[in-house]
Amino acid sequence: MSNTNNDGYYEVYWPRAPRQMRAKPLAPRLATLEGKTVAQLWDYLFKGDEVFALLEEGLKARFPGVRFVSWREFGSTHGGEERAALAALPQRFKEFGVDAVISGMAC
Amino acid sequence: MLRASAVCEAAGYPTSSLVCEGFMRQAATTSVGLGMPNIALALVPGHVGTQSKEELRRNILEVTTARVIENLTVAPAAKADQSEPAARDIVFKGGFKAVNRFFYENEFSDGLPVVPPTRDDVESFLRFTHRGPDEVLGIVLPDNRAATIWSIAVNGVMAGCRPEYMPILVALIEAMCDPEYGVEHSGNTPGGDTLVILNGPIIRELGFNYTQGALRDGFMPNTSIGRFWRLYLRNVAGFLPHQNDKATYGNTWRVVLAENEDVLKKIGWEPNSVEMGFAAGDNTVTIARYTGGGSLSSVSGSTPEQMLPYLADTVQKFNNWQITFTTSHGNGMLRPLLVISPIIAETIAKAGWSKPDVKRYLFEHARRPAWEFERQLRDWNIRGVWNLEEDVRMGRIPKVFYESDDPNRMVPIVWEAEDFMIAVSGDPLRNNAYVFAHNGFLGYPVGRKIQLPKEWTRLLADQQG
Repeated sequence: MSNTNNDGYYEVYWPRAPRQMRAKPLAPRLATLEGKTVAQLWDYLFKGDEVFALLEEGLKARFPGVRFVSWREFGSTHGGEERAALAALPQRFKEFGVDAVISGMAC
Repeated sequence: MLRASAVCEAAGYPTSSLVCEGFMRQAATTSVGLGMPNIALALVPGHVGTQSKEELRRNILEVTTARVIENLTVAPAAKADQSEPAARDIVFKGGFKAVNRFFYENEFSDGLPVVPPTRDDVESFLRFTHRGPDEVLGIVLPDNRAATIWSIAVNGVMAGCRPEYMPILVALIEAMCDPEYGVEHSGNTPGGDTLVILNGPIIRELGFNYTQGALRDGFMPNTSIGRFWRLYLRNVAGFLPHQNDKATYGNTWRVVLAENEDVLKKIGWEPNSVEMGFAAGDNTVTIARYTGGGSLSSVSGSTPEQMLPYLADTVQKFNNWQITFTTSHGNGMLRPLLVISPIIAETIAKAGWSKPDVKRYLFEHARRPAWEFERQLRDWNIRGVWNLEEDVRMGRIPKVFYESDDPNRMVPIVWEAEDFMIAVSGDPLRNNAYVFAHNGFLGYPVGRKIQLPKEWTRLLADQQG
């Protein structure tokens, strides 16, 4: 660092702006997946169709009574219609009796 | 994807978000902006795009499944909000080099020296807007921060802008806040960068370059405003590399492209601003994100018919994988941009062709065989479950994409001729052009009128005097 006198002196402001979102609690977790209904949400990218099929297999092996609502029921959660698709989810979950959600794919 | 999970959690449904290995850090930072810093993530090892069926099966069954179960049945540990300075806090005092080191170490700068944002300089910017410093233009994701006039001034100073650029900076952030633009997608992996197109008398008033080297750094307004855009994305929206900015490669910011309105007026073509819905003579900005493209050298010919085949062919070729935004997934939101030099525009116009005529030509000739279109997305890219026939049958895309079952039929790369954008700029006497490959809904074209302060003429004279 220079100690010469031509480096000036500045009092500078923070270049960011206040966050508008405070930490919110997550939804309560389930005691078990046995007998529960799990919705699959997919952005229609990155092999989600294959991943969800494998997850169904893996989860059913542990919880034979778990049920799934396919990603096909909800449409893509990403893309030009994202906002409308997400806004519709809570009502769609009620219709399907959903208890929990798996959402993919962040790749 | 995390936005979907946040909606579900807020509605009372526990979620597990599937995240490929290279995206865990982005997910962690994005979740803070969503107000759910402890949102539950399920690791997907590696990247699914490069795994065999056997590898994918092993990864999902042996790793991801257990994480999903844990995510849905065990409450993630709570995380508190991180304390931050207040909007107008002085965060550092010292010399130029020390300020820059502080800003760099705190990830406030882009690696180049910034102009220290001091009270005097920020206030000189604020004089060039009638809006109050605390006015909020919108909330920008992923950091969920307020886009204030104050923060625009601070980042404008840092970028090396002059105070009189402030009306343009405000218009840019208004555009950034428009939901149609989709700023929240600015960190996606193709690493597109925003291009600002400027129109109106302000081009000349502030000395923008709109001739030779139109996209080159070296002209203060073009360059510093381009830099401002990137700094604002970093500091307020929250797109930092290795965190929310997941550009695989990325670019340095793009300098502002100013249209050559002298030539447009001469040949009777409307400027981009009019095509964006503004009145001729309005000062406007248009923003859109582009992931690729390039220049075409030596567009030869003396008639539109001789020049346009080369232009149409290159527009089609440069918008390669970007046709994903043409399909149902992208909702027809591909907006390729063709920038032609004045001499090309003049040559086309003297034959009586208008901009809409050129767009119609591009729509009819910038095409590729249907089998190539489908192969690009289904076999090579990211859309494994999809084809044009189904999209047309379901009414998701126009019929022009499936007029027969001939795999060699030629299909367009956009839904309609008006989806093409054309601008005129660059070296007036060189017959080159530039194609920008658009990023669809992840940076859709949005325009804003630039509001000048009432005493603009006097303020400008004072500033430039």
